Amino acid sequence: MTVAQATLRLIDRDDLVAALDRAVARKVTIISAPAGSGKTSLLRSWAGRPGQRHRFAVVQVQRDQHDAQQFWLALLGAVRDACGTADGSEPTPPTPEFNGQAMAGRVLAELQDLPGPVMLVIDDLHELRSAEALVQLGWLLTSLPAQAHAVLATRLDQRLRLDRLRLTGELAEIRGADLRFTESEARDLLAASGIALSAAGVALLLQRTEGWAAGLRLAAISLAGHPDPERFVAEFSGSERTVAEYLVAEMLERQSGEVQDLLLATAPLDRVNGELGDLLTGRPGSERILLDLEDANAFVVSLDPGRTWFRYHHLFADLLRLELRRRRPEQVPALHRQAALWLARHGQVTDAIRHTQAAGDWPDAARLLADHAFSLTLDGQAQSIQALLRAFPPGGAHSELALVRAGSCLVQGRLDETAAHLAVAQAQAQKAPADRQHGLDVAIASLKLSLARRRGDLAGVIEQVEFLSSPVAGQSDEEIALDSDLRAVALMNLGTAEAWSLGLPDAERHLREGAVLARRIGRPYLEVSCLAQLGFAAKIHSLAITKARCREAITAAERHGWGAEPLITPALVALAGAAIWTGDLNEGERWLRRAARAVQADAGPDIRVLLHFASGMLQAGRGRLHDALEEFSAAEDLGSKLVGSHALASQVTGWMLAIQARLGRPGEARAFLATLDAERARSGEIGKARAAIALAEGDPAAALRVLRDVLDGTAPVIGYLTVIEALLLAGLAHRELGDQRAARQAAERALALALADRPVLPFLMTDSRKLLEALPRHQTPHAALLADILHVMHEETPAPSDQHESAPGADLSAGDLSAGELSPGELRVLRYLPTNLSRPEIATELSVSPNTVSTQIRSIYAKLGVRGRSAAVQRARELRLLSADRTHWPAVTLFRSVTLFR
Amino acid sequence: MDPASARYVIRIKGHLGATMLSAFPPLDSRLHGAETVLTGCLDRSALYGVLAEIEALGLDLLEVRQLEPPRGPGDGWR
Repeated sequence: MTVAQATLRLIDRDDLVAALDRAVARKVTIISAPAGSGKTSLLRSWAGRPGQRHRFAVVQVQRDQHDAQQFWLALLGAVRDACGTADGSEPTPPTPEFNGQAMAGRVLAELQDLPGPVMLVIDDLHELRSAEALVQLGWLLTSLPAQAHAVLATRLDQRLRLDRLRLTGELAEIRGADLRFTESEARDLLAASGIALSAAGVALLLQRTEGWAAGLRLAAISLAGHPDPERFVAEFSGSERTVAEYLVAEMLERQSGEVQDLLLATAPLDRVNGELGDLLTGRPGSERILLDLEDANAFVVSLDPGRTWFRYHHLFADLLRLELRRRRPEQVPALHRQAALWLARHGQVTDAIRHTQAAGDWPDAARLLADHAFSLTLDGQAQSIQALLRAFPPGGAHSELALVRAGSCLVQGRLDETAAHLAVAQAQAQKAPADRQHGLDVAIASLKLSLARRRGDLAGVIEQVEFLSSPVAGQSDEEIALDSDLRAVALMNLGTAEAWSLGLPDAERHLREGAVLARRIGRPYLEVSCLAQLGFAAKIHSLAITKARCREAITAAERHGWGAEPLITPALVALAGAAIWTGDLNEGERWLRRAARAVQADAGPDIRVLLHFASGMLQAGRGRLHDALEEFSAAEDLGSKLVGSHALASQVTGWMLAIQARLGRPGEARAFLATLDAERARSGEIGKARAAIALAEGDPAAALRVLRDVLDGTAPVIGYLTVIEALLLAGLAHRELGDQRAARQAAERALALALADRPVLPFLMTDSRKLLEALPRHQTPHAALLADILHVMHEETPAPSDQHESAPGADLSAGDLSAGELSPGELRVLRYLPTNLSRPEIATELSVSPNTVSTQIRSIYAKLGVRGRSAAVQRARELRLLSADRTHWPAVTLFRSVTLFR
Repeated sequence: MDPASARYVIRIKGHLGATMLSAFPPLDSRLHGAETVLTGCLDRSALYGVLAEIEALGLDLLEVRQLEPPRGPGDGWR
């Protein structure tokens, strides 16, 4: 017999449950009470009642939770489980770049989509050590939809910023005093455990424990099967010792030696299973004891349905730890060490490191951390790493920590510090023992590569490539796994850098290799990153294939819930660019907005160049030349900060100059031209800019001279799109010189080139409307394309003479709109109505709350005088608020030259 | 004594046994009626560490008081 035979039952505290029922009628209920007050038990018995209307999403915050991401993933998982939307899909994997606000938004969206009422239950909230997670949680709680309520249990009052709820009476609180056992509840507790105690005895017990739940339960454990309960209570009552200490000591006393050993030996652990118990006591049979302890309700709780992992109640564990340190101090480091070894072998690395630190084995802890920091970062545990780093005593000569610090600074965007730590790490790596040299070198090279990429140092990235050609090193599975992680990241960074400078064939190869490796080692985050960069780097010659690749990457990202994360930005921007090239300016704008939202503040210059570039294209397409110039200038400026030339450079510069010319500032443009080096100045993109400048200065003959090189192929061009623009500029020049036939020929040639991929942007960029309108429409072989291009031109940049035709909103007679025109916000929402996006999805796209979208939609319906979505779309089209459906252009064949990003 | 620390006296309800006391190594203890009185020199972080430990152990905190700097040799606790 190892545990008292009589088992304890948790009683139903009906009054308290009823009080909780009443409290949760309000939006948010906070149960704030000290350790051992019975919060968790209350929540369990309350939520576990049969016949509940609510679905429950329950999260118990892990001890000492520093990682906001882990908390949010747990909450998201709980909400999905509750709603049954888990549908067998994999749980969202953690990512290195975590956006807490976006994640909170996702949880909110899931809650909003629910058919019925849902109750969020968050236990042990005081263990959440991440200040930002608390802020985001506060936001979530104040934004809960109508059918969702929340209950939080905590030991301490926290700053959750729920004042708004408090003011509107939406906040309920249950405090420690409310949780005290009443006399009748105490009697019930004792009776349920078969304890016979006089009324006086019960009163005494209650008084001594002051109704503290843990105290009563501990007392009951000792009283069950006790030969003389009255005496026990009398002695307990007469003692001055603190309740917890007295009763835990009593409880321990009554356990067999085996049980005591197990409890004490496993006290340092956060979680216990049978294997660990056997290991630490040196004796078999721990699992049986743990199960019995749980059955006896002795403050041991199983964590999984299979009852293999257990946890001790915090208070109980703390006292056990103190007891262990007091009774057997010499055993403590050894226990930590043994636990650390077991945990490390079973992949629980952060816990293993913590125990190694607790054992005082600082060099071992440092090495363990250094070996795993990279993989842990990819797992999204950057905050845990920081916490572990802080635990090291200052001034210790732990050489390998420099590497960990470098990684930690990189994650936080502190690039100079990263470089400094890397330098230290490199110096120390040379003094490291031989068997660790290779691993350290690989890790350092990989970090350098990541740093170079963050800084936009494209040349620096490519320098680091040699280590990738060395074979996979290491004997142990661990070493190989780390090596693979480093490799996959390196391939991704390398491929990206190559796509940006001009090594495109290598870029494709490396990115594909990276994606395949990432898939193999189970790193979906890296896989999607590689696919996103592939979308951008497509050496594919047609816009349609670029679009397909980007969509593939975006779908993959969305599958994991990363549709709004920074990693997918390259694909979003590339897709935006492709859409803008083909004249789908609204669609392009949509993708661009999404990309802009996904980019974080500390994004490197490369992605920001891309964003400005695509935005510039969009603005130019819409005829907003000043805005376009701003964007291209910003891109030019940022581009010059990239170390090493980048693929878009001449395109950016060429357009910037051309627009300056169109805006009547040819002098400025010429001045900038003069600063270009000879190599760049020779390119076709700059050549066409020169022509544009000449045209603006009223010298069409000079324009034609400059264009000759571009048109006969002697000037290098990025792709055929430049040639189209050159042809159009030539056409305009001919027109100025009075040669209408030559002008028409040039325009026809431009149209011919554009036939397959149908890029509309070159025509918009060169302001060639007059040229195209002069073409006899029924005689040209490219009538359909010409019509499409003119259509886009009229829509986006209506000339005064077009007003009667199709300018949005301009031809509305009074009475077409009942209550005034649609506001800009409503117009934005209107553009989404023809799609199949739901309201929450539209809200996500526009970064507003779904309530706002619903309000706007209602207003749109009212103003259009319709009842439903399709009616609204139809009416909006009639009123020219929405463009008519454009026919889907057919898939295209390959071309010789390449698109924008080469 | 570093300038950021001060002497504190902390009173807790109930008598703390050897086990519980081992959670507060920097402090001396004595019993006073039904209470335990802990005294010691603590800087800010140490003070809040002690308070957190008291909370974690479910103890009943009665008073935390900062003492005047000791004025003479006869002013210490026994």
